[in-house]
Amino acid sequence: MATSDSEDFESADEGHGSPDKKERKKRLSSSNYSDNALETEQKASNTPKKSSNVKNVEEIPKETDGWDDFDIDDNEPAPTPAPAKSNVQNQNKTIEDKPSNVKESKKSQDTGWDDFEDWGEEDTSSNVQKPEPKPVQSKPQPAQSQKPEPNIQEVTDRLAAASTGGGGWGWGWSVDSLLSTATAGISTITSQVSQGISTVLETGIGAPDPEELARRSVKTNETKTDRPAPAQEADKRPETGSEQEASAGDAAFPFGSLLSGVTKFVETTGTKVIHGGLDTLETIGKKTMEVLQDGDPGLAKKRAMLGLGAGDKPVLSQVLREAKAKAEEEDKVREEKREAKEVHYENLFDDFEGLVHLEALEMLSRQVSMRIEERIRSVDVEKRQDIKETLQQVAELCEMPEEDDDDEESPSEDLSKPDAFHERLQTATQDLGLKLQFLPLVKQYTDVLAYLSSPDADSVKSVYKRGVSSLAQGTALSVEQYHKAAEMLLVKTRRSTADEADALTQMTVVLTKHISELATLFTEKLNALPSDNKEQVNTYITNIFLEAGNSSTYIQNAFQLALPILQIGAV
Amino acid sequence: MVDPIFDYQFRLILIGDSTVGKSSLLKYFTDGKFAELSDPTVGVDFFARIIEVQDGTRIKLQLWDTAGQERFRSITKSYYRNSVGALLVYDVCNRSSFEHIPLWMMEAKRHIEPHRPVFALVGCKVDLVGTDNKNGARREVTCEEARMFAEENGLHHVETSAKTGLNVEEAFVLVAQEVYNRIQTGEYKVEDGWDGIKTGFNRPNGMDFNLLEAETVQSTCC
Repeated sequence: MATSDSEDFESADEGHGSPDKKERKKRLSSSNYSDNALETEQKASNTPKKSSNVKNVEEIPKETDGWDDFDIDDNEPAPTPAPAKSNVQNQNKTIEDKPSNVKESKKSQDTGWDDFEDWGEEDTSSNVQKPEPKPVQSKPQPAQSQKPEPNIQEVTDRLAAASTGGGGWGWGWSVDSLLSTATAGISTITSQVSQGISTVLETGIGAPDPEELARRSVKTNETKTDRPAPAQEADKRPETGSEQEASAGDAAFPFGSLLSGVTKFVETTGTKVIHGGLDTLETIGKKTMEVLQDGDPGLAKKRAMLGLGAGDKPVLSQVLREAKAKAEEEDKVREEKREAKEVHYENLFDDFEGLVHLEALEMLSRQVSMRIEERIRSVDVEKRQDIKETLQQVAELCEMPEEDDDDEESPSEDLSKPDAFHERLQTATQDLGLKLQFLPLVKQYTDVLAYLSSPDADSVKSVYKRGVSSLAQGTALSVEQYHKAAEMLLVKTRRSTADEADALTQMTVVLTKHISELATLFTEKLNALPSDNKEQVNTYITNIFLEAGNSSTYIQNAFQLALPILQIGAV
Repeated sequence: MVDPIFDYQFRLILIGDSTVGKSSLLKYFTDGKFAELSDPTVGVDFFARIIEVQDGTRIKLQLWDTAGQERFRSITKSYYRNSVGALLVYDVCNRSSFEHIPLWMMEAKRHIEPHRPVFALVGCKVDLVGTDNKNGARREVTCEEARMFAEENGLHHVETSAKTGLNVEEAFVLVAQEVYNRIQTGEYKVEDGWDGIKTGFNRPNGMDFNLLEAETVQSTCC
């Protein structure tokens, strides 16, 4: 409770400081619009009524008192508290009984202040109405609204009598009797007022919930109806000032407490503001650091970026030395890679364009296969079966024969090995009806033979390297033959599929035999070379045979890729 | 043999009418030689050479030399797909070969889709121009109109001679650089199932450093 009380007090104090404004704001922003409308209507009638209303108005002074007090407080302390007391004390009783009323009325007045001059009018009606809104409002109000009237009226009457006729704010304190009304009463009033204000303020500052707003608006209405109008009028018209004076007098009493309240309020708000500001700054600072350090603990990178690194600036010569070392290292690595690649079969095969020929052949093959499928789909069901049978027959023609034709292996004695190879190729493909260029293959063979019988082939390593390279090259050239054959078959005008299939099968046989011949030549050479490292030689030999098997696979793949090209000639 | 180390492989295709000089251009580019006589290309032939683009990146150009002959047209069009660049080749002394260029270009665009290749317009045989030789060769395509066409279609244009070697290198470097630039800008990417651009087998360490640097730059921007 203590804390809450103090808070209330503070807020109440705030209210003192600038109650009008806040209230105004609230009004404008809240449900008061409708009220305003009423007010405006009433205004016209209000002014005349005021005089008659005075009674009603008189009730109000207390509230206004509260207001005025605040303003006045600063200026002057209660001038004549003592005398007032006596007068007031009677009232005080009543007031004390229902301080809440006063408080509320004050509040409402605060709010009502500027907006409604007309309230005086309503008072009558509002008085009647009061009971209704009260229930909605906080409990103290109802009590107040009902009871206060008489009490207040007394006061107001007195006030009216005592009024010195000063209109505005300043007048209040000049009225001694009124001022003396009740210190005690006022103190209670102030506390209550402060409470009320605090609630108002709090709700006003925060987002007030509709209920609150409604309640408040009702309150204000009530209070206004009770006695706000006079206050306003008083401002404008000195005549009505009497009421205000009274209120001012009332206000004068609370002075001391109010003052202390004000100072405390100022203090607390000040500290609040400062604390709030510091908190905000701190939060911002923390957040900033968080963002800065995000992904960069210790801000190492940022420091480095800004050149704030502590003493670890590199020396130029060292950088250069390191760069040179790095470059050398790179060169070395690069050289090693180059070396490794030189005996890497796949890379060599690629370098001899074997891979790309195979790829191009594959493209053709796929496209032709699609054409065949389309053709099958486009014909009748009966014909479909025929086509499928034909395709199957062509595929069977392309099956590799068993290795039973060793007899043909005996070439004419008077032919060199490459020439014999060339002749076999031509014989194999003579029914193909194409003019294939076998010379590169023959030339490569010649080169290999020349190399193996030359003094260059003196080291196991170089022979091995040449062996792998020759296999890759021979295979690439072979694959190229299938690719070329496929292309030429596709543009050939008169197809004879059976012959073509047979010719390509024969060519495949010759080429695979050629590959194994190459492998044999190199392994024999490797075996014949003197070497300290027999194991190394055996590894090389194994590798050569391995790559030879690889080569045969490529060649047979190429042959299989050419199959659809043969097939499409038949359907 | 081709130096095995490269960072990227670009596949370029040469297209154009028969006998405009595609194979001779490639032969000079890869071999530095010019053959007075050569057989017409069957289907497609392949050439390769490694060049360096401006930042020193090594590019292996895999060059697809297509047959210009009409009878191979149905075959050659199945080779377009995996190309990242296309050289539209015409003979400066052969008007119709230039007039067919738009058709070649449309053909290439159609078959390379959805990829958008770099095109270059390459005039061949400029060595024949201006020499009152007995062959009676005369320029039939002016440099200006070729350039105009190139500008209209957003192509690079260059006139070459495979005999003197004039601009041969430039023609290919032009395309390679453009492809490389588009990789840098992210327009082109290495894609599975598309062989227009491939990364090399042996990527030098430099590339790794580039990646690291790129990373740090990224991290400092936040």
